[in-house]
Amino acid sequence: MLRIEFQVKLAGISSHLFDIDEPVKSIEIDNALPVSGDMVFLFLSVKFDSEVTVDRLSEELSSIEVVDVTQAELNPQIYYLGVMAQLSDASVLSLLTENQAIPHRIVGKNAHLEVMASVRDWNHLKEVADAIETEHGSLELLGTTQTDSIGFPLGSNKLKQSMSGKLSEEQLDVLETAYRMGYFKVPQEVTAEEIASELDISRSTLSARLRRVEHNFCALLFGPQE
Amino acid sequence: MTTIIIIKSVEHHASVREILGSVVDDGERVYFLRLPTVRCLGPLIQEVNPMINYGVDYTITPLPEGYDVSTLVEFATEFDANRICIGISDRTLTGKARIDDLTQSILLHDDISGDFVVGEHAIILEELEYGD
Repeated sequence: MLRIEFQVKLAGISSHLFDIDEPVKSIEIDNALPVSGDMVFLFLSVKFDSEVTVDRLSEELSSIEVVDVTQAELNPQIYYLGVMAQLSDASVLSLLTENQAIPHRIVGKNAHLEVMASVRDWNHLKEVADAIETEHGSLELLGTTQTDSIGFPLGSNKLKQSMSGKLSEEQLDVLETAYRMGYFKVPQEVTAEEIASELDISRSTLSARLRRVEHNFCALLFGPQE
Repeated sequence: MTTIIIIKSVEHHASVREILGSVVDDGERVYFLRLPTVRCLGPLIQEVNPMINYGVDYTITPLPEGYDVSTLVEFATEFDANRICIGISDRTLTGKARIDDLTQSILLHDDISGDFVVGEHAIILEELEYGD
């Protein structure tokens, strides 16, 4: 099985959302559920460059059938949107599933849709790429990795969604870097100094951010401290 | 059987050793395909010594300046290569092989298909089949 990352030009719902007046930083499709006919419920995480009020956002989205708008608890720049859309508004996602590829992440940013998916093998990769190129023009393959397991398909990251609005960008950055470099493995594969150096922050800043992350995780699991 | 080993850097000793030692079979024809960015394969060949250490006959062929993926696929087609091997030169933070632009282009090329295998130091495209 191969894990592939590719990018295509912005299209569908991401393209609509980037067209609104408020500057959008990124749009991620968290989940999609079929509705009758050619309609689909899309659940999106939308990150803005600056704070946006719910009223302002609702006004901006008047042309889109919005089912739900929820602002992330601790990060007012992130909104979780539920929208009713045409299947064609999520065409990359539907092309992936129609061609039996497993979507993991679909994120719109920097005028592109960045997509991570799993395919069976090289021939399957070519089938999927052909289908997407036919619909969306050129496709740029960014990465290919051999993998033994499917991992987490799109829509299975509920915990990530619950947490992402509760951690700051810096905390998420520290957490992800520490995780990817093997800080939480036993034995540790990297020292705190090495992570701090990778992030270009001091050892004490790293320690403070990691402790805040742990505190927020505990708050989510056990509720607020009395 | 014919194997093409694409040489992107003279530092790729480990990948060449892995390919010659555990991918290529005895008596295979091996083509070292030198990218224009590599000036000379002498030091690499001298250190690995394919004939004495691995018993393979090899040919060194340079890819011309301004080559593209089609040039490479045409070369592979002309020699009916069963495999194309490329050294891994970059990895992610978690140690996964990062696939370079040339390999990505081969994967998406219309006229070539097969199996994709990631080794310890090299990516191996094998069981190659060619389009019309």
